[in-house]
Amino acid sequence: MKKQEFIEGLQEALEIEKIKLDENTNLIELDEYDSLSVMAIIAFVDNNFSKKLTGIELASITTVQSLLKLIGLENFSD
Amino acid sequence: MKIIEDYPFSLSGKKILVTGASSGIGKSAAIWCNKMGADVILIARDQKRLKETYDILKVGNNTYYSLDLKTYEVIEPAVYEYVEKYGKIDGFIHAAGVEETIPMQLMSPKRYEELFSINVISGFEIARIISKKKYINPDGGSFIFISSIMGTLGQSGKIGYCSSKGALISGAKAMALELAVKKIRVNTISPAIVETELTRRMFTSLTEEAIKAISEMHPLGFGKPDDIAFAAIYLLSDAAKWVTGSNLIIDGGYCAK
Repeated sequence: MKKQEFIEGLQEALEIEKIKLDENTNLIELDEYDSLSVMAIIAFVDNNFSKKLTGIELASITTVQSLLKLIGLENFSD
Repeated sequence: MKIIEDYPFSLSGKKILVTGASSGIGKSAAIWCNKMGADVILIARDQKRLKETYDILKVGNNTYYSLDLKTYEVIEPAVYEYVEKYGKIDGFIHAAGVEETIPMQLMSPKRYEELFSINVISGFEIARIISKKKYINPDGGSFIFISSIMGTLGQSGKIGYCSSKGALISGAKAMALELAVKKIRVNTISPAIVETELTRRMFTSLTEEAIKAISEMHPLGFGKPDDIAFAAIYLLSDAAKWVTGSNLIIDGGYCAK
């Protein structure tokens, strides 16, 4: 999966409408980011990478880039 | 809000999607919601009977889609098309459902899967899609799953049906909690026996005595589809703005015995 594809899918999964996500967006500072968002990210990553992140791992993320790194940059095709 | 001051039970200006709209409870609910001022989106498999329901409706941005809900992928394109044309959705009634009376030994995994597919999963899928910000009215909405008293009571030969209706009741509660933040209320209605095509078919496999016995378990006799439609109007309206995660029993007194 390409990073941009992932970011667009993430935007849809988190239902963020006010801004367009990019690698530098700080997720945890967004109004919409709450405990349901954490669950949504876990499910979204599992669906696309068959990789189950935990809430503890996600507690360490800040920007979209940090999430990409958590998933592993080698998992993206670009 | 002027509507709630003047007539809290009005559905004026609301857009309501109804599955199972070609017959029985779904048909009555769709017609009555429309009479109360709503635009309705009718969904069912049977195109001919769907059109018959559509032709009864009063003026409004009503439409119908002949869909097999077991093919879950067909749902979102229909919702998208409607919202693009007429605007966001306010409510949803999942009245599509099938009944099966089958001894346990003749049940199979496939039968359970088919029952759950229509009775439960298609309803939850529609709710998932309609609850997206791009489709749901930002002021909130109201989802209703038509369950059954058989969702909380048991009956021989109805493991599949009872469990599928029970799943709607519990699922609706979880959904109510998850969607409260979006101001979407989620409730179930549990009818006892209502005179519809579904129950007529069910009765063909019973004796006269058995039907009479069942009738006598209903202190007020069997119900009519509009008995359930009226409950749906209430739950969809602003009058029910504080009602969510509940199961409304409309049963002619069956459960009181």
